[in-house]
Amino acid sequence: MMISRRDFATLSVACVAVSRSAFAQDWRNSPNALVEKFAEKGITDILGAAISQREKADRFRVLFKDFFDIPSIGRFVLARFARTASAEENEKFAMLFEDVIVYTWSRRFGEYKGQTLKVKDNTPDGNDGALVNSYIMDNDSQSFAVAWRLRKRAAGYRVVDIIIEGVSMAITYRQEYSTIIQQNGGIGGLLAQMQKQVDEMKAKLA
Amino acid sequence: MLKILPHSQKFIIKLLFGAALTLVISSCATKPPASDLAARSAFKENNDRLEPFNRAMFDVDQAIDAVIFRPVAWTYREFVPDPVRRGITNFLRNLRSPITLASDLLQGNVDRAGQTIGRFVVNTTIGVLGFADIAADLGTPYHYEDLGQTLATWGLKDGSYLYLPVIGPTSFRDGFSQALDTFLIDPVAWYNYADNPGWVRWAYFGSVYIDARANTMTATDELKASSIDHYASLRSAYRQNREKEIRNGAPAPLPSMTNGEDDPFAEAPANK
Repeated sequence: MMISRRDFATLSVACVAVSRSAFAQDWRNSPNALVEKFAEKGITDILGAAISQREKADRFRVLFKDFFDIPSIGRFVLARFARTASAEENEKFAMLFEDVIVYTWSRRFGEYKGQTLKVKDNTPDGNDGALVNSYIMDNDSQSFAVAWRLRKRAAGYRVVDIIIEGVSMAITYRQEYSTIIQQNGGIGGLLAQMQKQVDEMKAKLA
Repeated sequence: MLKILPHSQKFIIKLLFGAALTLVISSCATKPPASDLAARSAFKENNDRLEPFNRAMFDVDQAIDAVIFRPVAWTYREFVPDPVRRGITNFLRNLRSPITLASDLLQGNVDRAGQTIGRFVVNTTIGVLGFADIAADLGTPYHYEDLGQTLATWGLKDGSYLYLPVIGPTSFRDGFSQALDTFLIDPVAWYNYADNPGWVRWAYFGSVYIDARANTMTATDELKASSIDHYASLRSAYRQNREKEIRNGAPAPLPSMTNGEDDPFAEAPANK
């Protein structure tokens, strides 16, 4: 059987792709490269892709779980309340918290107008972690500072917090949730309100 | 001091005094019992002694904003082209250079004071009265300073969180210093004390307000849409942003976990 030039070209591209993927995971061990990879995948696979909003949300969930250490973030957000909550409540919280983030982010995917992310530098942070400083360039040439808090885990770095213009996502959730827990019937009240929020955001996405 | 102020200022000061008095006699937030450690530490972290009062003021402010300020800022954003709005932001920033300079000096920050003077000279001349931020293009970016930040660097704590209609989120320290900045240090205030027409000041206040409201619209809309308790998330976001300004943009220290761990983002046990 003759191999046409075109088949050969396809084959060689496939070979290059395979050999590259063997090294491709290197970015997991470099703080700057991990953040750049997250932005790149987010822009090409989700923001710029011609797919439905629901599909974008599904793809984002996969990306988010791959790049973020969600259990560690959830533990930080619940803080001391995690210890007084039951195992079921903690589990329910972890599930809902993931949904809250996925749908909160997904709501705005339609508004993407070609913004780009530029990584500036990084500094050591916490135990075996790094704080990656980056800028998001907006369309009217305004930029805002985004810092990514990373921690080294078994399979490489994971994101544990995003800090936009000094405002940490994890701290904001922690302080909002602790207020809800105190004022709306404990952790059960928080879970009920999170569930309601997720349902509403989900309905709007469809 | 009241004598040198025109009538409108006296009225505002009386109003502020009245508001302060109402604050004192209004109900305070109830401290959780000492046995509830989680609630106690959250209460301390939020530092919002007047929460019931603040929440009421927050509702009033949100209502005023929804009817007046947000629609005006939205229209401004929608119909005025980006470069023009950018020019106005630059112009207003340049105009408040004396406040920034005074704060830089009071904080003993000679380098930043030099930057403020350099920026003012370059932008007022080459930047055509400040409409173009030439100094930033030349490598000296804008920085924001005020009396509240100065007092913070001197070690004064913020007192407690405070939410006021129209003014928005602030604190005892920052609200009080903002009034001093506005009525005593701002050159526009002095312009007015010299018997100049009063509308200049109100036009200036209005422009500053709408410019700021338009510039923060995306962030405030997003926070509102993504939170369950909008009041609580705004309180947290405002305070973190304010602390960043006080630290002159340096990264925040790691938040505490209160369980004795040295890294609050340690790996969760279930994950190991």
